Amino acid sequence: MDFHFNKPEGNDGVVDFHRFVLLFNHSFSSRIRFVGELELEHAFVEGLEQAGEVELEQAYLDFLLTRGFNVRAGMLLVPIGIINERHEPPVYNGVERPFVDTVIIPSTWFEAGAGVHGEVGRGLRYRAYVMAPLDATEFSADEGIRGGPQKGSEANVRNVAYTGRLEWVGTRNLTIGVSGWTDKSSFLLRRLGAGVRIGEADVRYRRGRLETRGQLAQVWIRDAGRLNDALARVTGVSPNIARSLRGFYGEAGYRVWADGPARDLVAFTRYENFDTQFRMPEGFLPLQQFDRDAWVSGITYYPDPDIAVKADYTLVRNRSGIIKSPNSVNIGLGWWF
Amino acid sequence: MKKSPLGLPAFVILLALACAAGAGALQPTERRVIRVTAERFTFTPSEIAVTAGEKIELRLTSDDTAHGFRIEGTDVNVTIPKRGGKELVVAFTAPGPGRYTFECNRMCGAGHDFMRGILVVRAPTDQPATR
Repeated sequence: MDFHFNKPEGNDGVVDFHRFVLLFNHSFSSRIRFVGELELEHAFVEGLEQAGEVELEQAYLDFLLTRGFNVRAGMLLVPIGIINERHEPPVYNGVERPFVDTVIIPSTWFEAGAGVHGEVGRGLRYRAYVMAPLDATEFSADEGIRGGPQKGSEANVRNVAYTGRLEWVGTRNLTIGVSGWTDKSSFLLRRLGAGVRIGEADVRYRRGRLETRGQLAQVWIRDAGRLNDALARVTGVSPNIARSLRGFYGEAGYRVWADGPARDLVAFTRYENFDTQFRMPEGFLPLQQFDRDAWVSGITYYPDPDIAVKADYTLVRNRSGIIKSPNSVNIGLGWWF
Repeated sequence: MKKSPLGLPAFVILLALACAAGAGALQPTERRVIRVTAERFTFTPSEIAVTAGEKIELRLTSDDTAHGFRIEGTDVNVTIPKRGGKELVVAFTAPGPGRYTFECNRMCGAGHDFMRGILVVRAPTDQPATR
């Protein structure tokens, strides 16, 4: 559950029950399990996304065969990045998820698919899935591929996407991951060869009271120039989609009451750089307001390990001399049970 | 009386050897302590090697929420308290040789099914367990 107050500079404050999530599971046997996650976003559904969404984020069967090889099919979370598969509010700092995990990696990113997963040796995990591809006609200049997921809703699978993640979890307090995605996204514009490739690397490390994490993600969109031209012919306006998007962040947090009682207080700061116009196709100029960076600094108070009371100040800058990105004060309450 | 210059060192060496021998004699009845940390969505370590018949003491802690801990094919089935709770101590005797899956059996989030590990039990004649 995720409940926010956001006050962007120059705008009125907004209170939003951002996410209400129901997780449920069932074991048909010790080897066959069902996991489901149903999410209501923005508390209210009126038929338009701006008013809210009901999303079936997970609904899959897991066939648990061995530690090293298992099969999974249904609605799956795309295994990319730190946040997408691990998005409960108490597991990350900041009222909102990192920008990189929003406009570069479109979390929460879920899609219909099937694949294998497992763990070998002392802690090397893998996931490899075949999924429905992104829809290139929904890409944009400001949010990149965020509009692209078909969300398993009568998804076109004329071409499929391949995605996977390798993750080392065998060293206490250290997680290192790399992940990727490749697809052909222009199934609605069949003369084009537009497709998406994503490369991502991340690390999380904790030593005593200090917690750090970092992530780098880059998106490449093939045939982006012709995609812009094709969409401009339909809508009359070029969406100015980049041929490459890039984002990275580094975060440091300090636990004030580590190893003490259940309650805890974390002070953190995070630097993010995210550019959805990183490299443009020939003949297109980048929109500088979408080359952004941000400092997010604040605290997370845990009255219980499953409850997070958050406050932060988010300072956003961009390269445009005309359009300003608003800074914001954010207060949030997240819990999980 | 003239003291032997080797007397004190010899006594210390003999005492150390006696202690070492005593410790060795006690070893088979002692429990081997293995610390396991649970965190969404991993157990560390996720692979534990023991010897059949070995007495094991698992010390289980969580870095976040409460997690289940069940070893298939054994009686071990407990709930690890949330962060800040007491360390949970589970004593058991390693079963016969084989590979036993352990897992979180308390729904703990979107990646709950990833929380699995393996207890590798070797026969006493095999290479001794090192972890």
